[in-house]
Amino acid sequence: MNAPVIWIIFPAALALLLMLTQNKRLLSLSGGAIAALLAVAAQFVPMEEAFRIGSMSIRIESSLSILGRQLIIQPSEGPLLALLYGAAALWFFGAEASQSAPKFVPLGFLINALMIASIAVEPFLYAALFIEMVVLLSIPLVTSLYSPPGKGVTRFLIYQTLAMPFILLSGWLLAGVEASPGNLTLAAQSATVLGLGFAFLLSIFPLYHWMPMLLEEAPPFAAGFLLWILPTATLVFGAGFMDRYSWLRNSPELTVVLRSAGLLMLATGGVWAAFQNHLGRIMAYGVIAETGFALLSLSLDLRLGIPIFFLLFPARALGLTIWSLALNIIKAHVPSLRYSQVRGALRKFPFAVAGMVLASLSTSGLPLLAGFPPRLALWDSLARASSDAALWVGVGALGLFTASFRMLAVTSMSDEYSGWEVGENWLQAIMLGLGVIGLFILGVFPQTVQYFLAALPSMFEHLGH
Amino acid sequence: MFLLITIGILTFTALVLSFLRFALPTFRFSWLTAAGGALLAWVSMFFWQAGMPARLQFPLWQPESIFRQSPSFVADGTSWAFAFSLVTICVGVIVTSVARENFPGILGWVGTLALTALGVLAVTADNPLTLVLLWTAMDLTEFVAQMRFVQEPRLSERAVISFASRVTGILILLWAGMVSASKGAELDFLSPPPQAGLYFIIAAAFRLGIVPLHLPYASESSFRRGFGTILRAVSAGSSLILLARTPLSGVETPLTPYLILLVAAAALYGGWMWLRSPDELAGRPFWLIGMGALAVASALRGNPLGATAWGCALMLSGSALFLVSAESRWQDKALLIGAWGVSSLPFSLTASGWISSSGRFWYAVPLLIAAQVMLLAGYIRMSRRPLPHAGFENQPIWAKNVYPFGIHIILLTSLLLGWFGWDGARQSGNWVAALFASLLTFGLLRLAVRVRILNPVRAHWVRSAEAAWLDAVYHTIWEGYRTLRRLIALFSSALEGESGVMWTLLFLVLFITFLIQGSP
Repeated sequence: MNAPVIWIIFPAALALLLMLTQNKRLLSLSGGAIAALLAVAAQFVPMEEAFRIGSMSIRIESSLSILGRQLIIQPSEGPLLALLYGAAALWFFGAEASQSAPKFVPLGFLINALMIASIAVEPFLYAALFIEMVVLLSIPLVTSLYSPPGKGVTRFLIYQTLAMPFILLSGWLLAGVEASPGNLTLAAQSATVLGLGFAFLLSIFPLYHWMPMLLEEAPPFAAGFLLWILPTATLVFGAGFMDRYSWLRNSPELTVVLRSAGLLMLATGGVWAAFQNHLGRIMAYGVIAETGFALLSLSLDLRLGIPIFFLLFPARALGLTIWSLALNIIKAHVPSLRYSQVRGALRKFPFAVAGMVLASLSTSGLPLLAGFPPRLALWDSLARASSDAALWVGVGALGLFTASFRMLAVTSMSDEYSGWEVGENWLQAIMLGLGVIGLFILGVFPQTVQYFLAALPSMFEHLGH
Repeated sequence: MFLLITIGILTFTALVLSFLRFALPTFRFSWLTAAGGALLAWVSMFFWQAGMPARLQFPLWQPESIFRQSPSFVADGTSWAFAFSLVTICVGVIVTSVARENFPGILGWVGTLALTALGVLAVTADNPLTLVLLWTAMDLTEFVAQMRFVQEPRLSERAVISFASRVTGILILLWAGMVSASKGAELDFLSPPPQAGLYFIIAAAFRLGIVPLHLPYASESSFRRGFGTILRAVSAGSSLILLARTPLSGVETPLTPYLILLVAAAALYGGWMWLRSPDELAGRPFWLIGMGALAVASALRGNPLGATAWGCALMLSGSALFLVSAESRWQDKALLIGAWGVSSLPFSLTASGWISSSGRFWYAVPLLIAAQVMLLAGYIRMSRRPLPHAGFENQPIWAKNVYPFGIHIILLTSLLLGWFGWDGARQSGNWVAALFASLLTFGLLRLAVRVRILNPVRAHWVRSAEAAWLDAVYHTIWEGYRTLRRLIALFSSALEGESGVMWTLLFLVLFITFLIQGSP
C-alpha cells in the first residue's frame, strides 16, 4: 500500500470511472461518501507504520516513484489531506443540491487529486505541470457545450497559465541558489520570479480581475469550487517554499511583500465588494479578501501566523460552499444575479438568501460565524505588529460588511408585498441549513476543529515552531 | 450557576412555546405557559444574590496561543441590576399582552423570551469578546423577528439599517480591542486603556438602538408596543452595561471634556423632543437618547454606578410607560413610581445618578439636570395622558384583572432596586441636585399649561421634521457613495475590458515598483 496511490491515483482513477455515471444523486452521494472516507482514512490511518486489519498486516508507504520523479505524502500531511478531502466531500454532497453533479463530481475528484499531487511532487517544479493540468480540467467545469466561453474563462486560463513559466524558471534558479547560497543576486532573481509565479497563481492584486468576471458568467457552484481549491492548495504549496528555504523564510523583505500583498488584497477586495451590483461579483471579491487574510497570516510571527493560517481553512471551505450553493439556487430562478433581478428574493428563497448573507458575513468576520475567530486572532496579532496594517484590515472588513448589508437590503426589499414562500427543494434547504449550523458551530466553538488542525503545523519542518 | 438556571427557564419556555405553536396550535394555555416561565425566571433572579459575584467560564478557545480571551460570564451587583430589569420587562411584556390586539401572539412571546435570555447573558458578559458574541446573537434574533413581523416591504430597509447600525457598534468595540492590542495590552472591562475606553462609549451609543429612530412596524402596531418594548430594552441594557463596566481610568483622555459637552447636547435634544412628543411611542427614541446620554455622562464623569442607575431607569420606567395600552384603576398614579425612579431623589433607583467623587466636568451638570427635568416632565405628562382605546373588548374576561400586574411588577422592581441588590441601592446620592431637578420639573409642568412651545406637537409634524434632516444625511452619504462607485467602476472596466491584460501588467509593474521603494 502506498499513500500517493490511495490519495492521488485512486481518486483520479475513480474520477474517470465516475464520468461514466449519469445518475446525479448517485454521483453526488458516492462522490461525497468516498471523499469523506478518504478524509477519515487520512486522519486516522497511520503512515509508515505497520498496523493490522484482522489477520492482515498493512504498512502504508509515504512515497511513490514515477518516471524518476517522486510523489511524497509525509505522515504529518495526513491532517491536510483530511482537510482537503473533507471539504471536497462537502462540495460533492452539495453538488446534487446545486444540480451540477454530472460534470462536477468526477472533475472535482480529479482536480483535488492533482492539487494534492502538486503539493506532493518532488522536484517541486513539476508542481507547475499538475497545476496547469488542473487549470485545463477546470475549463469544462465552468463552460458549457452550448455557448462560447466568456472573457472571464479566457482570462482565468491566461493568468493561471502565465504562472507556469515563472514556477518552472524559479525551480531552475533555486537549484542554482542551493548550489551557491552566497550568491545574493541569484537569490534575489529567484525570489522575484517565484513571487511572480505565486502572484499569478494566487491572483494577487491586480491579477485577480478574472474572478469577478468568471463569477458573472460561470455557474457559481463550479466557480466557487475552483476559487476554494486553487488558492487553498497554492497557499500550502507556497508555505512549503518558506519552510524549505531558510534564506527566504528569514528575509525581512518577504514579510513586507506578504503584508503589502495581503493588505492590498483585503482592502481592495473589501472596498470593491462594497460597490458591486452583482451577487456573483461580490462573492469573487470575498474570495480575494480571504486570500488577503491568508497572506497576512503568513506575514506574522509564524508561531502565531501558522495556526491562524490553518484556522482560516475550514471557515473558508464551509463559507464558500454555502455561498456558492446559495448563489447557484438563486441563479436557477432569476435571469441574472444583478441587484435589479434579485429584489425581494429573501421572501422567495429564504434558505438560499440567508445562506448567502451569512456566508458573506462570515467572510466579513461577523462574530458568532466561522470566519470570526481566525480573523479576530489575525487582527489582534497584526495590531500588535503594526497599527497601520490593523487599520487597513478594518477598512477591508468594513467594505465586506457594507457589501453584505447591501445584499441583505436588496434581497429583502421589494416594490410590493409578497408573503413568505420556500422556493428551494427540501434537499437544498437541508444542505443550506446544515451548512449554516456549521458556520455557527465553528464561530462559537473554534476549538472543535483543533482535533484536525492541531497537528497541521507539524507538516512543516521549520514554520510555526 | 443561578445564571444558567434563569437562562435555562427562559430558553426552555421559549422552546416549549415554539413546540406548542407548531405541534398543538389549538393549545389554550400558551399565555399561561409563557407568563409562568417568565415569572419563574423572575423569581430565580433573587437566588443570584445567594452567591455573588459568581463566574462562569465556557470552554477555552483553542489554540490558546492565538486567542487571548474566551467566552465567560460574571454575575455581580451591576449585572444583576441589569438582568433583573430585563427579566422584569419580559414578564411585563407577556402579562400585558392580554390587552393588546394581537393576543395571543405566541411567536412574539417566543421572541421576547429568547431576546431576554440573550440580553441576560449579554449583561453578564465578563469580557468584550463575550459581549460581541452576544450582541451579534441578539442582533440576528432581532433581525429575524423583525423580518418575520414586518408587513410592508419598504419597512424591511429599516430593519436592515437597524441591523447594520448595531453591527457598526460591534465593529467599534472590536476596534477598541485592536487599539488596546497596538499598545501591547489586552482589552478587558477592568482596565481598558484610555483610548479604548472612548471607543466603548461610541460603541454603546451605536448600540443604544436609536438608529433608525422608529422600529419597522406600523406606528400603531401592537408589535411596536409589546415586542418593540423588549427589543428597545434589551438593546439599551446590553449596550449600557458597557458603560457600567467602564472605570474612570478608561475615559481619561484629552477629548473627554468635549465629549461630555456633546453628550449634554444630546441629552438636551432628547429631553426636549421627548417633552414635545405627541405620545410615548413616538417619543420613545428620544427617551432612549435622553436617558442614554445621562448614562453616558455618568460614565464620563467616572461614575459607573450612575450609568447603571440611569440605564435601569431607562429600561424600567420607560417600559412601564410604553406597555400601557389600556385604562386601569390607579394606573396614572402608579406610573408616578416610574417618575420617582427617574427623579434621582434619595433611595430612588437613580439616587446614585449625580454622584461624582472627583467633581469633574461640573460645567456640564446644569445642562444634564435640565435634560433630566424635561425627561421627567415629559414622563409625568405622558403617564397622565388619557388612553385612546380601552383594549379589552375582544379579550378574555380575566384579562382586565391580570393586565395591571404586568405594569405594576415593573414599577415594583424599579422601587426595589432603589433599596436592594446592588451597590447603587440605599443611596442618598446628591440630594441637592435631585431636589433642584424635582422642583424644576414641577415648575415646568405648571408652566406647560400656559406656554404653547412646551406642549406636544402633532404626530405628523414630528415625523416630517425628523425625516428632513435624516434625508439630508442619507442624501449626502449616498452622493459620496455613488461618486466612489463610479471611480471603482471605471477602474474595473479598464482592467476587465479588451485591453485589460495590458492594464493589469502595468499595474503589476507599478505595484512591484512601490514595493521595492518602501515598506507599508
